Amino acid sequence: MTEPLNVDALDETSRVALERLILTLADSKRLMGIRYSDWTIGAPSIETGIAASSMAQDEWGHARLLYSMFKGLGKDPVPMEHDRQASEYASVAALDEEMADWAAVVAAMVLVDGGISSVLRSFAGGAFEPARTRVWKMLAEEEFHASLGAAWYKRLAAAGGEAKGLLTAATHSMLPTMVAWVGADDAGSRALVDAGVLEDRELRLAAFADRVGEFTKLVDVDLDSVGASADWDEIRGRTTGQPNDEAIERARGDRNRALFVE
Amino acid sequence: MMREVVYDVFTRKDRGDQLVHIGYIDAFDDETARVYAWKTYDEEKWFEMCVVERTAIIPVNRDEGVFANARRADV
Repeated sequence: MTEPLNVDALDETSRVALERLILTLADSKRLMGIRYSDWTIGAPSIETGIAASSMAQDEWGHARLLYSMFKGLGKDPVPMEHDRQASEYASVAALDEEMADWAAVVAAMVLVDGGISSVLRSFAGGAFEPARTRVWKMLAEEEFHASLGAAWYKRLAAAGGEAKGLLTAATHSMLPTMVAWVGADDAGSRALVDAGVLEDRELRLAAFADRVGEFTKLVDVDLDSVGASADWDEIRGRTTGQPNDEAIERARGDRNRALFVE
Repeated sequence: MMREVVYDVFTRKDRGDQLVHIGYIDAFDDETARVYAWKTYDEEKWFEMCVVERTAIIPVNRDEGVFANARRADV
């Protein structure tokens, strides 16, 4: 077992990188929840809609737990959750826009939600104590998301025709930015590896490949041949771009927050 | 075309409780049935939940009703 990290002893680069990692995970969870919530109505069946609703709740709960980790770093999580502009969000690029169809949601369940979970698993096994204690329960809840994604991905791929075509297109669209994010290798990411917070790049990419490779093969995509997006934003720890404004207004609760009395 | 079938959902709230039929869901395979059942009937913190495809339930004393009808439709 890795020795617990002493955050007070971290140098500036490592501390900024740790905050960046927590933020990109929390923001990704929040956006994943929004994308699932879009399919509470309009999913292929009532049961699927209920599952989408439940998964949205899971994701928002996970996001809240991740944002709360900032308290231990001496930062107030409330402005993080409610005061940032879309350009400051560090969520993975595959969640920037709403999902065009159910096949894209299924691809996101496997590739995006799965990719986030593979990085979370690395984080949970690392030296940052709050991740060690809080992330395993998230990962247990994520097993149901993975099961649903796996079943639907296989089913749409086997259906062929338009279903497989849409799934293939979504897979091609999402993979490059996910590979870049999971396999981040900038100075901040390397500092986290050195500090024992995350596994090194190769192990993270191998875990991601173990998790999603069997699925991408179903749509004739060889994961080894997918290049990572090159347009990396080192400040936010994601590829360039930003979530659409409507999603961020929902994430912040703009419309009704004025009514909220704390 | 995806063919969905009915799965019945059984739970017990605590260890030692009797397994109780609490409802059903439609799913296209066992894996989706697991997820749909867990996400749909989440009003309690269940000790155990399981699902069974309705056509696998063998009626003992009635040759009509939902279980018998399901088996007949599956033939």
